[in-house]
Amino acid sequence: MTDSENPQTGRQDGRRTAILWLTRGFLSLWAVGATALGVGFLRAPSREKRPGEGLVDAGTLSSLSVGGARFLRHGSRPLFVVRVSETEVVALSAICTHLHCVLKWDDGGGRLLCPCHAGSFDRTGNVLAGPATRPLPQYRVEIRDDAIFVRT
Amino acid sequence: MAPADPTPARRSLAAWLETRFNLTEMLAFLSSFGVFPAELDTTRPFREALHDAWRRPLPSYARWPRVLGLLSFLLFLFLVTTGALLAFYYQPTESEAYRAGTAIVRDVTFGWFIHQMHRWSARLLLVMLVIRLWRFFFQGTYKAPREAVWMAAVVTFLVATQADLTGRLLTWTTTGYWTTVRALEVINALPVLGPVLMFLAGGTTPDSLFLTRFYVLHIAMLPAILLVLFYLHFNGVRRVGLSHASSESRATGETARVQMINMIILAALVFGGLVTLVTLAPTSFEPAADPALTPQGMRPPWYLLAPHAIIEMTPTMLPRWVGGLVVEAILLLIFMLPFLDTSAGRGTRERRIAVAVGIVVLAIWLVLTWQGYSLEVRR
Amino acid sequence: MRGAARPLLAALAVALAAAFIPVAAAEPATGAPRVLCGVCHPDVRVQFEQGVHFREGFDCTSCHGGNAAATTVAAAHRAPFRGTPKRRDIPALCAGCHADLAKMTPYNIPADQYALYLTSQHGLRLAKGDDKVAVCTDCHGVHEIRRKSDPKSSVFARNVPATCGRCHGAPPPGSPEGAPPVEGSPFADYQAGIHGQAFLQQANNSAPTCASCHGSHGATPPGIGDVDKVCGQCHATARGYYREGLHARAMRAGNGPECAHCHGNHRIARADVSLLDTACAACHAPDSEMLKVAGGMKALIVGAQDEIGVAHAAIDRAAAIPLYVEDYQARLEEAHTALVQASPVVHALDVRRVEQLTARARGIAKEIESEIDGKLGERWWRRVGLLLFWFYLGLTLAVLWVIRRRALEDGRR
Repeated sequence: MTDSENPQTGRQDGRRTAILWLTRGFLSLWAVGATALGVGFLRAPSREKRPGEGLVDAGTLSSLSVGGARFLRHGSRPLFVVRVSETEVVALSAICTHLHCVLKWDDGGGRLLCPCHAGSFDRTGNVLAGPATRPLPQYRVEIRDDAIFVRT
Repeated sequence: MAPADPTPARRSLAAWLETRFNLTEMLAFLSSFGVFPAELDTTRPFREALHDAWRRPLPSYARWPRVLGLLSFLLFLFLVTTGALLAFYYQPTESEAYRAGTAIVRDVTFGWFIHQMHRWSARLLLVMLVIRLWRFFFQGTYKAPREAVWMAAVVTFLVATQADLTGRLLTWTTTGYWTTVRALEVINALPVLGPVLMFLAGGTTPDSLFLTRFYVLHIAMLPAILLVLFYLHFNGVRRVGLSHASSESRATGETARVQMINMIILAALVFGGLVTLVTLAPTSFEPAADPALTPQGMRPPWYLLAPHAIIEMTPTMLPRWVGGLVVEAILLLIFMLPFLDTSAGRGTRERRIAVAVGIVVLAIWLVLTWQGYSLEVRR
Repeated sequence: MRGAARPLLAALAVALAAAFIPVAAAEPATGAPRVLCGVCHPDVRVQFEQGVHFREGFDCTSCHGGNAAATTVAAAHRAPFRGTPKRRDIPALCAGCHADLAKMTPYNIPADQYALYLTSQHGLRLAKGDDKVAVCTDCHGVHEIRRKSDPKSSVFARNVPATCGRCHGAPPPGSPEGAPPVEGSPFADYQAGIHGQAFLQQANNSAPTCASCHGSHGATPPGIGDVDKVCGQCHATARGYYREGLHARAMRAGNGPECAHCHGNHRIARADVSLLDTACAACHAPDSEMLKVAGGMKALIVGAQDEIGVAHAAIDRAAAIPLYVEDYQARLEEAHTALVQASPVVHALDVRRVEQLTARARGIAKEIESEIDGKLGERWWRRVGLLLFWFYLGLTLAVLWVIRRRALEDGRR
């Protein structure tokens, strides 16, 4: 580190500054390393799904009336399975896309209602009314014989 | 950090801060913990005070044997950092402690590294503190006006052993649990001090509530006490000045700037040593604690082996607390050493008796430690 | 003295009477008329007195008629003496009491045995005139008839296979200890099969005996269409899946395999995935669709088994280091459970359902393996990292030393 009051030629000054900054860069790599260590450590372990867990049993098709819905608890991401027609079933996230409240199914109106700010979604997850702007995410549904499975 | 004419931007920022905070006082506060070795005049602006202090020759702090104190504090800083990181994942209940510990070691990125750093730093810290006490003793650094330095060093060692003890239980492994149970036996036998510590810990059996209290002691109370002790120690040292061995001349000194670089080099070496130990000699996996099953050969931690031996060797006709009283008496004598040693000066010639007594005590302590160790094998 | 003589006389009378007590005790306790048949038939009498009929107060005349108190053979064997009943008359003879509800109800013994017997194979053949079939005495004993709950009874649960085996293949009486049963007989097959081994060798009392599947008095082999009902008494899960499958449909239509077709009836081997190779080919052509299904199911199960084996080996390797493996073991148990569930599903003949379970088992096993491999590989990377660290630290220390020297020079100036 140089005392710039020391009279030197411009070129030597420039070289000294270069070395100075190179040194600073070299040493600051320790800070980069420590940050990487800290960030890596603090990164919350991924709550990945185990194989076979991604498949949720959603009950039987025959017990779900056409136009009806069934609520499934699934950890922190509950679902609704809605039978939109004789053969078609959709699986929607039960979490409102506004501020993450859990929706309720309104059988009379055939829609999902949010108790927090009175938002509503239709059977396929599109927004009908309310502060939410994004439709509900859908999950893949597999129907085997009479059993409905949802792939989360 | 050249004290030359700074660029306009830098000047205005420094000036802006200077008018709102006493930056010199902040840096002076840091120097209370040995981070910055020189005294700062807190009435002057930051740059001026720093400029003065930077080039002042000071007695070298980062050399043997004073380096022990600096190393202790560095290790303490490592412990606090790694401990804070570990606390992000640890859960202090009986049912979750072991699982959380295993998750840290096995599943969290670099979890094993942080955990082992914490463990090795703790071990090294205790060793440093013991060596430091012995060196204070043999170099007479407890004589006036440094009595407080000695007393602070003794209490620091004792509190650090408590921190180590509380930390051992947290992993809830077999050795951790049963070592703590054995250690509690020893502490329970100490009159007055024992019941007080058990009161703080919430009982005599390590169960879930006990664990939570140990956790709080370990991460909050004891580090706070240690910080206070370190502060007292550095404050005292700065007041009385660094002691010199009679052979060392007062004239040689290094500037504060050189001392800072010395400290950085030292920290880098310590860090390198720790990382090597951590990578090449990590502690192996241990099974979870089973309070219903006592394994063979469990002993109190090494620093409690001598008190353990003293207490166990109390004749059976006397109650156990008599042995504890003996231990406490010895601790008190050690603590009051500066007032017991009435010799004139600091040199070893003048303190012949004290040094002789010290060697005998060291020998006895080693023998007692060995005795405490082998008590378990005999059974 | 007169006063002393009276009590003396009374004592003498009592003593004389007491002398007759042993004689009186020789009479039957019930006070029934004396039974003297045992005088000529002592061994039979000994046997009979072991049994339950004797204890309930019956005697020889209950079944054989005759005059029990007679002291001559002619008098004893006078009418209504029946003598040794003919084999074909025995069931009716026993039924005289044992089919009478009024007589049986106080003992809480059912009275339907004779009716059941008449429907059994034994009874039907007897009715046709074949008396080389089992009658009551063949199973229950002739004179020494014990209660079913008596461990010495020939119809005590643990003795049932040996009793049935007297005709159906057990080594004949008088054979040396450990003699083999008759080759190919039901008893031989049962003994060699898993049910027999469980019951006879491992003393597992929940394993089935002859009576469990064939019935006892109404002993009949299960008819076509009824086999799965019999096996399903215990193997309900497999039966449930079987009923959902094509084989059950074919059976109901009149031509389909039942449990015994693939598993055997008496010599039942432990159900193994290798059955899918051998059993299916017995009916289906080598290049048929059905054999493909069987092969597919077998491949899935064997694949999952292998994967679990590999994961198990990885866990062992890790435990030896040691790494903490308990939760890996728990997850492997989960995988194993999925695999165990897959086996009965095979009966439904649906590859997709087998696949769902085996995929789960395989997935868990693979996950465990990769996690353990990751842990094991990490140790090597740590050493490499340490070398790089020291390299970089060395450079840093060099730089710091240079800086320090400059600062020292500055300080001295």
